[in-house]
Amino acid sequence: MLLEKAISDVKESFQEAILDVTEFSGERSIHIKCDRILDILSFFKEAGFEFLADLTAVDNLTLGGFERFAVVYHLLSHESVERVTVKAYLPEEKPTLRSVESLWKTADWQEREVYDLYGITFESHPNMTRILNPDTFDGHPLRKDYPRRGRIERSDFPLVKRGIRKEDETP
Amino acid sequence: MNHDDVKSNVLTTTLESAINWGRKNSLWPMPFGTACCGIEFMAVLAARTDISRFGAEAIRFSPRQSDLLIVAGRISIKMMPVLIRIYEQMPEPKWVISMGACASSGGVFDTYSVIQGVDQFIPVDVYIPGCPPRPEGVVESLLKIQDLVDKEKLSDYALSDTK
Ligand code: SF4
Repeated sequence: MLLEKAISDVKESFQEAILDVTEFSGERSIHIKCDRILDILSFFKEAGFEFLADLTAVDNLTLGGFERFAVVYHLLSHESVERVTVKAYLPEEKPTLRSVESLWKTADWQEREVYDLYGITFESHPNMTRILNPDTFDGHPLRKDYPRRGRIERSDFPLVKRGIRKEDETP
Repeated sequence: MNHDDVKSNVLTTTLESAINWGRKNSLWPMPFGTACCGIEFMAVLAARTDISRFGAEAIRFSPRQSDLLIVAGRISIKMMPVLIRIYEQMPEPKWVISMGACASSGGVFDTYSVIQGVDQFIPVDVYIPGCPPRPEGVVESLLKIQDLVDKEKLSDYALSDTK
């Protein structure tokens, strides 16, 4: 099938970048170093996995893994209806990797979401700005070391008093 | 005009209660629906509960034309400045209903991005518990607001130097 051939071809062509190939409930995952991500994904795209179903990230702070962060790409082949997961590992000190927006336009907003929530930046992305949080937001809240209740952002607003009506009462 | 005609045709009242009577039976709500409570609010407008029976069916999506703000749903940190702006755009006198657990306390969403109760920042007159509140609860809160409107004092609106 498409998947077996693609995986063995990738293993052969990018030997030095592959960390591991695993299988869980019939789903294949390829764990790679982040520097060859664009090459490996364009290889998969040419091999028939032409649909980027999802792009997300994982913070391995408490899970353990090859590195602190992993950016996860879920690819789907419409032709053979097979799926493959590519996980690119990034070190904590320099969470940066190449954007795949040139391969799939849909990666544009998804990479912005990963940047917003995990602080992972994507090189040569056309518009690397926050997408969900306010532009003035400080920090990346889906990182495991970000406090769940936030810092002070949810209580940092001006107090609006009642107008001329009952002006001596405080709300 | 004879004396009997006057007795059966003229009603005397105070200006204050005439104004309050008019206001409370013609509240114009501005729904600020940001989540599932906003959907439930639609049911309040529909045939079964039908708040036009209480004179509050003129839903205004412009804060400048409304006097009752109904906050229905969670307010995120990105939405709160918008809510404050809308509250400030409403002309006095104005009242606020906080509909549902989320608007009143943050509900189950105890996270960095959800305001833990809009009353921390804007004045709220009536809270409706529930997730979501039943339409009957919203009607009850409307009646509570009408009671509040009834107790308004015109002298409260006088500018402070003329009081
Ligand atoms: S109180 Fe319940 S129904 Fe209302 S917005 Fe919150 S979660 Fe939704």
